[in-house]
Amino acid sequence: MVQSIFWYLKEFLRGPWIHAFLFAKTAPLVTPSYFREYPSLTEKECTHCFTCRMICPAPGAIEVLQEGGTWHPVIHRGHCLRCGLCVEACPEGVLASGRILQWQEEDRTSFAATFHIQVDHATCMRCGNCCVSCPVNKEQDPQMASGGHSANNEVIMKISSGRHTVIHEERCVGCRTCEGACPNSAIRVARVVEGLQGVAEG
Amino acid sequence: MSLLQDAKNWVRSRSIHVAYVDVGSCNGCDIEILACLAPRYDIEQYGIYVHNNPREADILLVVGAMTPPWVERLPALWAKIPAPKAAIAIGNCPVSGCVYNRRETYILGPVAKYIPIAAEVPGCPPRPTEILSAVLAVAPTVFRDYEVNRS
Ligand code: SF4
Ligand code: SF4
Ligand code: SF4
Ligand code: SF4
Repeated sequence: MVQSIFWYLKEFLRGPWIHAFLFAKTAPLVTPSYFREYPSLTEKECTHCFTCRMICPAPGAIEVLQEGGTWHPVIHRGHCLRCGLCVEACPEGVLASGRILQWQEEDRTSFAATFHIQVDHATCMRCGNCCVSCPVNKEQDPQMASGGHSANNEVIMKISSGRHTVIHEERCVGCRTCEGACPNSAIRVARVVEGLQGVAEG
Repeated sequence: MSLLQDAKNWVRSRSIHVAYVDVGSCNGCDIEILACLAPRYDIEQYGIYVHNNPREADILLVVGAMTPPWVERLPALWAKIPAPKAAIAIGNCPVSGCVYNRRETYILGPVAKYIPIAAEVPGCPPRPTEILSAVLAVAPTVFRDYEVNRS
């Protein structure tokens, strides 16, 4: 009995034990290098194809902006989920985050997508905002002004004979800029995205 | 004055009491806060204690996208916390509504419209280290020399 008390005290009166008990701290917490952080820009050139905007699941998380003649994606904290889908989807490798690019190369993953533009003609007021905001329309017809009228038949959509008309749905890149520009929430772009593995990107 | 203030500063730097409120989250951020309590991150070693009683709290962690039932309750809960106090928005939801902020949803964010937010920790969810460093960064600016700064 006395001996066990003695051993007990001896065990707990060791300097290192007392020190560890009083001053225990976990090791400094460092973020591991493979952590999927907010996507960062690589040196590669952005071609403003808007694939990153298309795949992004979070409203308002990513924009592709032109500044000083060059395009680049901008990621907004407080909106971005750090899901890394934009990193995976970008065909140019403009974005990087954690080990996503490395895995993508190993597994040869890519996305194939189709888009369907749907306009509710009961709420659409033919303002043409969607047609004017669309970046693909802008490239096809830089002259398109407010009202969304155009003499050009190569645009995705325009206001024609007082009605919103979709002409080239297949040219849509799914960026959803038009959804944000519509004052009546009348336009919706459905994205049907297929994840591919083991297929060469193209 | 200053000796008392020094004592208060020292005590407050080692005794930060935290309450958290979920105003409509998916539980992702709640789990990250829970991870802060577990041995891997162990917030008590930094002198941060979770109470979940607003009357005992110094810092309120707000989690989740603002949903209609909280519009009246969150300011009421904020009023119950004794000064000095600070609120920290944890995750994207209190900042922007995150993925829930779409048409035909009942998201009334941001939370900063209803109570003053001292810091925002973005992420979906944020890492426990990010939550921890936000609490540790906010605490001294709010609590140190509180009585001096107030007068
Ligand atoms: S997917 Fe890549 S290349 Fe295309 S717009 Fe986004 S960042 Fe630029
Ligand atoms: S990481 Fe995900 S949420 Fe963030 S910008 Fe990219 S696709 Fe959007
Ligand atoms: S989603 Fe809308 S704005 Fe973007 S390319 Fe398609 S039609 Fe144009
Ligand atoms: S922006 Fe909306 S309301 Fe205006 S034309 Fe397009 S779909 Fe119709």
